[in-house]
Amino acid sequence: MLDVGENVAYSKVGKLKLSDYGLFQQPLNELNPARKMMLYDLNTPLFTDYAGKERYIFIPEGSSSRYNTEAVLEFPDSTILVKNFFYSNQQLEAENRKIIETRLLIKEKDKWIALPYIWNEEQTEAFLEITGGTVPVQLTGMLQPFEYRVPTMMQCKSCHELNGKIVPIGPTVRQLNRNNNYPKGPQNQLERMIELGWLDDYEDQFKWPLAAVWDNEKAFSLEERARSYLEINCGHCHRPGGPGKNSGLDLTVFASSEHSLGIMKAPVAAGAGSGGMQYDIVPGNPEESILVFRMTSENPGIMMPELGRSLIHHEGIELIEEWINSLD
Amino acid sequence: MKHLPALLFFVFILISCDSVKTYDPPRDFQNIEKDLQTKFILAENNSVIQLDAGDYKFSKSLILEGKENVTIRGKGIFKTILSFKDQKDGAEGIRIANCKNITLEDFSIEDAAGDNIKVTDTDGITLRKIKSAWTGIVNEKNGAYGLYPVLCRNVLIEECEVLGASDAGIYVGQSYDVIIRKNIAYWNVAGIESENSVDVKIYGNRAFENTGGILVFDLPGLTMTGENIEVYSNEVYKNNLRNFAPPGNIVGIVPPGTGMLILATRKVDVHDNQIKDNRTIGIGIISYELVDIISERPEDPSSRDRGRSGQGVDRKYKQDLKYDPYPGDILIYENHFSSRYLIPDLRNPFGKIFLWKFGFKPPQIAWDGIKPEGYLLSDGRENPAYRICVEESEDVKRVILDAANDFKGLTADPEALSCD
Repeated sequence: MLDVGENVAYSKVGKLKLSDYGLFQQPLNELNPARKMMLYDLNTPLFTDYAGKERYIFIPEGSSSRYNTEAVLEFPDSTILVKNFFYSNQQLEAENRKIIETRLLIKEKDKWIALPYIWNEEQTEAFLEITGGTVPVQLTGMLQPFEYRVPTMMQCKSCHELNGKIVPIGPTVRQLNRNNNYPKGPQNQLERMIELGWLDDYEDQFKWPLAAVWDNEKAFSLEERARSYLEINCGHCHRPGGPGKNSGLDLTVFASSEHSLGIMKAPVAAGAGSGGMQYDIVPGNPEESILVFRMTSENPGIMMPELGRSLIHHEGIELIEEWINSLD
Repeated sequence: MKHLPALLFFVFILISCDSVKTYDPPRDFQNIEKDLQTKFILAENNSVIQLDAGDYKFSKSLILEGKENVTIRGKGIFKTILSFKDQKDGAEGIRIANCKNITLEDFSIEDAAGDNIKVTDTDGITLRKIKSAWTGIVNEKNGAYGLYPVLCRNVLIEECEVLGASDAGIYVGQSYDVIIRKNIAYWNVAGIESENSVDVKIYGNRAFENTGGILVFDLPGLTMTGENIEVYSNEVYKNNLRNFAPPGNIVGIVPPGTGMLILATRKVDVHDNQIKDNRTIGIGIISYELVDIISERPEDPSSRDRGRSGQGVDRKYKQDLKYDPYPGDILIYENHFSSRYLIPDLRNPFGKIFLWKFGFKPPQIAWDGIKPEGYLLSDGRENPAYRICVEESEDVKRVILDAANDFKGLTADPEALSCD
């Protein structure tokens, strides 16, 4: 088991314990907000080894964020984005859920910092661990435990980067544009932000863009679901200005051409990641598409995303295969 | 060709002599992972991270991010060993990103899952006296790049030793102001490669026993195109290793036996190099069009196999309007060529063509001869932007392949590439 505790050497980076922020009431593992925070979900989330995620936004009193049509909301200083990663009691065949880690994105003086906190076995506290860690997890239906990997502080930025600066990835208008359960009942998350006084300069509601829900076949087309999945899982790196920009691939929903989206695009610096294939996406032929090959790999020199997963997301791969099969 | 059977036998002997390359240094690993991770993360600007002597193994990438004026210094390539054998997390060994003025020196780095040292979006990077290797038998499962600055400015790579990369030992891509000097590169697919970079000097290096010694490439679809490359006073010899790049990578097009290859780049000066015993060609100058031609292209676009085999060639390169697929403004002078081989390497179409056309006198310099529209100006003169000038002594054999027409117009005219 991972040995976690306070490490004073980290005190210049951030608070040593999650409880030091006063975000949640005791007992901490119930994750009941102690401050005015808003629970939120994304229409299509990043895959993280089948972990559940409970996200909160904290915006200080008197401040608000600004609406953006495409990019993430512009949050004010002292904003905290809180993301708790856990496995449910069903997933673990245990009495209680188990929270593995809590990642904080904190904006100070116009700059974001990213901090990983790892929960102790007793689930009473999470401690700052800038070098990340490995937590063995045994999921129901899996033959062996796998190693859940908490990123290092630097690995956080390997994904959360745009033009050299740390940025949040999830909270765009199109991802937040969905209902959640609030004290008054189900309500749109953006409406809730407006009600809290946390969103300025917003467009009329009918103009709010909407990101497809990757596993909702009734409401969204195959193309929409696949593109939404690729954007949140890959597009944070593979976009203009992102850490993976050197290959010219753009997997956001804003990709300017089929070629920049990877269709019949040759790799640039893939090495063994090519899997002996020539193109990122070959229409009608997922088994000859590098994209699928890399999503299906567990080898760190080949797999995509490079970080943040130890397991293969079979349902996501099925979606992408189905989409590539549908292309001419 | 009445001596063909004897010739083929001779060739068979030559090919079967391609020896297995192996690098197996003894290691006795210690674990300092958490301590060193912490030092990388907490490094103050204007500081030195000192690495002690020892063999150290890491399970995840060491990342330096957003720092200025930091030096990471070992006790020498034989004393401080950073190994990423059986790495579990991250593709690079060391990753430097969004930094300024970083120096890495005096250590060995081995066996990263992907690239040993990747440096991105950094202004001021010095890699000095570093040995980058993949251990064991040199093969296609090795990582792609040894030392890999990309999207950088002010790059200096000197006195390093690089081996075993399944792409390039030293590779600089999409960068400005680059010096690569006094390095030793061997047993890689490409010894040293400059790709889509501007203002690059490559000098005083030894590149030997790679598939290709020194490559100067420009590829389509990237953030910038390269120019102003000077390659001089290098020793480039015996680059006859089989091409072990995993299929799907552009470097897979490099024929074994290539000294230097210039692909689609402008303003390249190559002079005062010792180019010796490279069995296919001393210096090749080619367009991306040739790359497209020589890679397999199944006729039937609905073929289930159309993504398989061949190299990573971008068929849609013509859609990149900023990209010019032709080399130009190339100047080659005062290099010293010699070869003890009478027969070119026959594992590639060029070697076969050379043997067929020239027998025991293979050429030293070859241009694919594929001319762009606009190669001639309206007054009939050559457009200087596409000019390829060879100013070498008369005994240096130079050929124009006429590769666009199945080598039909192949010529070996000593005047052919003269610009006087």
